[in-house]
Amino acid sequence: MKPFKYLSPTTVEKAISYYGEHSETAKFIAGGTDVIVKVKEGWMEPDYLISLKKIEEMGELHKNEATGELSIGALVTHATLEKSLMIQNEYPIIYDAVSNIGSLQVRNVGTIGGNLINAVPSADGAIPLIALDGVALLHGPSGERSAQVKDLFIAPYKTILKSGEILKKITIPTQAPNTGSAYIKFGRRAAMELPLIGIGVLLTLEDDMETCSKARICLGVAAPTPMRAFDAEKLLIGKKINKEILIEAGNIAADESKVRNSIRGKAWHRKEMIRVHVKRMGLKCLEIIKNNS
Amino acid sequence: MSNLNPDTNREFDVIGKRIPKLDAAQKAMGRAEYIQDIKLPGMLFGKILYCKYAHASIVKIDTSKARALAGVHAVLTGQDVPKKMKMGFYKDNPPIKKGKVCSFRDEVAAVAAISPEIAKKALDLIEIEYEELPGIFDPEKAMEKDSPLVHEYHKSNVLKLPWKLHYGDVEKAEKESDFVVEEKFTTQWVTHCCLGTSGAIALFDSNDNLTIHTNTQIPSLAQKDFLESLKAMGLENKRVRVIKPIIGGGFGSKLDTYAYEHIAILLAYACRKPVKIMFDRVEEFKATSTRQPTVIYIKQGCDKNGKLTFRDMRMILDNGAYTSWGATTPSVMMMPITSLYRVDNVKYNAKCVYTNNTYSQAMRGYGNPQATFAIESTLDMLAQKAGIDRVEIRRLNRNQPGDVTPQGFKISSCGLSECIDEVEKELTIDGPKEKGIGTGIASLIHVGGGARIYKSDGCGAILKMDDYGKVDIFTGGTDMGQGLDNITAQIVAEELGLFVEDINVVHSDTDVCPWDVGAHASRSTFVAGNAALGAAKKVKETILEYGSKLLDADPKNLVLKDRTIFVLDDPEKSMPIDKLLRKAHFSPQGKMLMADFFYDPDNENMGKEFKGNMSVTYAFGAHGVKVKVDEETGKVKVLDYVAAHDVGRAINPLLLEGQVYGGVVMGLGYALTEEVVTKDGQNMNANFRDYKLFTAKDAIRIKAPVVETYDEYGPFGAKGIGEPGCVPTAPAIANAIYDAVGVRIFDLPITPEKVLAALKEKKSATTKI
Amino acid sequence: MATNISFLLNGDKISYEIKDHWTLLHLLREEMGLIGTKEGCGNGECGACTVIVDKLAINSCLYLAIDADEKIIETIEGLASTDGTLHPLQQSFVDNGGIQCGFCSPGMIMSSKALLDENPKAGHEEIKHALAGNICRCTGYVQILDSVEAARDKGGQNE
Repeated sequence: MKPFKYLSPTTVEKAISYYGEHSETAKFIAGGTDVIVKVKEGWMEPDYLISLKKIEEMGELHKNEATGELSIGALVTHATLEKSLMIQNEYPIIYDAVSNIGSLQVRNVGTIGGNLINAVPSADGAIPLIALDGVALLHGPSGERSAQVKDLFIAPYKTILKSGEILKKITIPTQAPNTGSAYIKFGRRAAMELPLIGIGVLLTLEDDMETCSKARICLGVAAPTPMRAFDAEKLLIGKKINKEILIEAGNIAADESKVRNSIRGKAWHRKEMIRVHVKRMGLKCLEIIKNNS
Repeated sequence: MSNLNPDTNREFDVIGKRIPKLDAAQKAMGRAEYIQDIKLPGMLFGKILYCKYAHASIVKIDTSKARALAGVHAVLTGQDVPKKMKMGFYKDNPPIKKGKVCSFRDEVAAVAAISPEIAKKALDLIEIEYEELPGIFDPEKAMEKDSPLVHEYHKSNVLKLPWKLHYGDVEKAEKESDFVVEEKFTTQWVTHCCLGTSGAIALFDSNDNLTIHTNTQIPSLAQKDFLESLKAMGLENKRVRVIKPIIGGGFGSKLDTYAYEHIAILLAYACRKPVKIMFDRVEEFKATSTRQPTVIYIKQGCDKNGKLTFRDMRMILDNGAYTSWGATTPSVMMMPITSLYRVDNVKYNAKCVYTNNTYSQAMRGYGNPQATFAIESTLDMLAQKAGIDRVEIRRLNRNQPGDVTPQGFKISSCGLSECIDEVEKELTIDGPKEKGIGTGIASLIHVGGGARIYKSDGCGAILKMDDYGKVDIFTGGTDMGQGLDNITAQIVAEELGLFVEDINVVHSDTDVCPWDVGAHASRSTFVAGNAALGAAKKVKETILEYGSKLLDADPKNLVLKDRTIFVLDDPEKSMPIDKLLRKAHFSPQGKMLMADFFYDPDNENMGKEFKGNMSVTYAFGAHGVKVKVDEETGKVKVLDYVAAHDVGRAINPLLLEGQVYGGVVMGLGYALTEEVVTKDGQNMNANFRDYKLFTAKDAIRIKAPVVETYDEYGPFGAKGIGEPGCVPTAPAIANAIYDAVGVRIFDLPITPEKVLAALKEKKSATTKI
Repeated sequence: MATNISFLLNGDKISYEIKDHWTLLHLLREEMGLIGTKEGCGNGECGACTVIVDKLAINSCLYLAIDADEKIIETIEGLASTDGTLHPLQQSFVDNGGIQCGFCSPGMIMSSKALLDENPKAGHEEIKHALAGNICRCTGYVQILDSVEAARDKGGQNE
């Protein structure tokens, strides 16, 4: 591995100022499970790695019980999310996604922020955060700004983050009552997979417990960046949710997707998996809502 | 356990016991030294530069910048390799290529430097100009007349290998058959994925004798290869010592010598310093060899009662750009083709064809899984066509003791029928149908008593006893994690009435250990076991002779047990064995107890028509599996697995089960998930993320019933069991999928995509009707 | 670009001058000669290099040594007692056939230890989930899972 100097600031401001000093020769690093691979392979050759690990505020996972808003620090590891009972009970879609990222060894170190910033089309972590209307708080040389998680991604490995900007945390707005959410990573084996396709569905029902008031259908590996299937979502709004309409939504989502052939899977099969799993995840949402009511 | 031969039901002290692997504790403590862990004083680090094209002429190589880099001791190109230094039995593979490259894994240069980092930097500084040539990646296209040639000097892409046999009259039998099935199957590249990557350290002494520490399953044959390399380098009459450290897995991957070993030798000679070459994981995927991929055309027939009438198979083997043992896998494919079930009329023809792909090697089962996939899949189809139950057709045609198969295999013992019973007992094959759930069964035959591929199938053993009742046994056999050390120790301990901890097994060092043909063909328990037993018997005879004098008893009336020699009908008359040994040693004309034994099994090389009893005995087995197919996704879930084997005798059931479980899961990977994905000859998934081995989360519970047939030639009745676990796995799965959802997959691996595509095709065909 | 770090390694206080770009695996194996931790892929995809840092199983090939500063590190070398008695998990792997070629074993045992330390009653599925990042080619995992379950059932005691 090419030598570098490792800097460990304890505040966001300091991290940004380090970046200011070294600019293009520096890279930020969080858990390192992606960055270290890139440096080892020579895809990235920084002279400085600015570690965010010691910035305490970025490692906090916190739900504001008064407002219902969830705040996930960018440094929160996948394992922390996976083991959190609050996440397991209230945000099953996050649990579904993070509990199958890489191995436990990777989840113990890898962070949700890193997963987003790495910006691979297959990022499991992005899908639930998009489905939950997550907002990313960014901090850079010219101050703070926020963006919808769904708008973070421009292209594979490319985000809207400007040079020197850090993803500080993600906030999830209060969830409406009667909301269910679920994610599935479809792969050939039971673990250690990049998804062939990732499907996240979130549904909110009206008080009649039948009519859909909000729908999110989010797809990973279905396009160069994580995407929402807006037409499929639109179909569901105001409708009574049942298997038939979920099948229809699955078909629309499959048509909306821009799946491609790759060494990991064929486009036609990915489309089929969107069809099947939009339905299955939709049904799972209904079950979760029913169980919670 | 079924016992077919009650006469052999003797009580043993050590044989048949679940004794943990002898080196397990040091491995559990992290103290075992693998090639990764070995550092020699003054050692340099070698690295290999691979080419960037599947097929290209090398126009120019400039190594001057690399040579100028501080810390670099040697830079070699194809020009530096002696002309006669070629690897593989077909001698078509120089360790560094010159003039042109024929596959992405072709070595074009190598360096030795004081650190791996400098060596890598030096590789980056080597400038090579290529002129790309059209590549050929499909073996069937490579056989066409106007196809580009991989090696111009060879005149044809088809190798000159004799894989052709015809016994009986297949044409006549086909005409007379009531039912015939004809199909095409294809199998993929898969690879061994040893957790410990490949590596070697070569060093020369001041007299130019070579010592090489290397990951090998064939210390003696590797020694021969390296001697030939030395000779090519002008070093005649030198010595080569091959030392195999503990290796992180074998599975056949180390049955041939590789370029990196010969390059380490060249670099060590060029620098006169120890040179270590260690593969990283990407190299391990790209530059070691795979299982032989195949295109299989098969026809099988039966009469109206289900009796098999003929089997006609034709195969095309993608040889890749160079030739290693993959090209000889037809010799073992012949075994199931001619001898799995009774079938009198058999025809087989295989062509190995050069392409610009990677080349193949030995891998657990050595061609048997490919052939058995086609045979056992079509057997189910045939049963269905003939309206016969699929278990019944297997029973009806089963091999039986005393059979001589068309290839001349003498079936000494055979528990195939009992294995099928065990599968039926553990798994309801034809129970009530649940949607999406199905069962499948497939059988196997494999060599279980050596395999005479080479001119000798022997193994030597030297045994010495010290003054304290301890044994050192120097065996030619190789332990690579499978547990030959235990088997050897248990056999010797049983024979000499000692405890396993009294036996020290020394293996894998050609300076110390006798010759052996290698750890392959499931032969080690049988052949190395018989060698150890032979040596132990000789020593035992001497002990009994001394005991007879010291205890004043008939040697026939003496027993060795619990480190003691005693008189059978007067057990009070006894003596500790160590005391006897000291008495033998410290007397006038004293004697140390030592013996050597070379066991070469009474099996036969296959003659011109491939007839001959290749193995002294054959292992049999039947696998049954229950799967659930998700009809919307095509995903197959294995619910239950039974793998019953006729093992002769289980010398150590704990290790035996380990071989079966490991084999089955390797077979499941072959059937369902594993595949080296290539694009125009380039490996596209050289990592564990995209090369999909089963993970612990994919693990299933496997039942492994053991059928003991007590083979009369095996050590204590044992046969080999290293490979069978992965032989019939794929067809058992394919048959179960068909049973579950009515679609048959002819192409491995059986991915969700293939299953779903077949389901859709079936649905659209039904709708059309 | 050298930095001094201090950490607790298998109970011993260690102070070491490291290079910033060293991985923990490099520090352990190449600098300190602790060969028990293995490198199987270098990319966090096989688990052979698993060690425990502050009670969590991690891939030491992707973990920078500098991040080990002030941490508690456990490696395979620290498991057996000084009198040579194996840790119950090690003994269980030996007794139940959990070890063949042995290359995955140190990592496999460290992953198992992290799991059972945290959850001494982990069930079959939890064990499979926790070991999914440790690749084994020899055993088909059957006897490895047996080994962990047997160790769990003995509650951390050797027989």
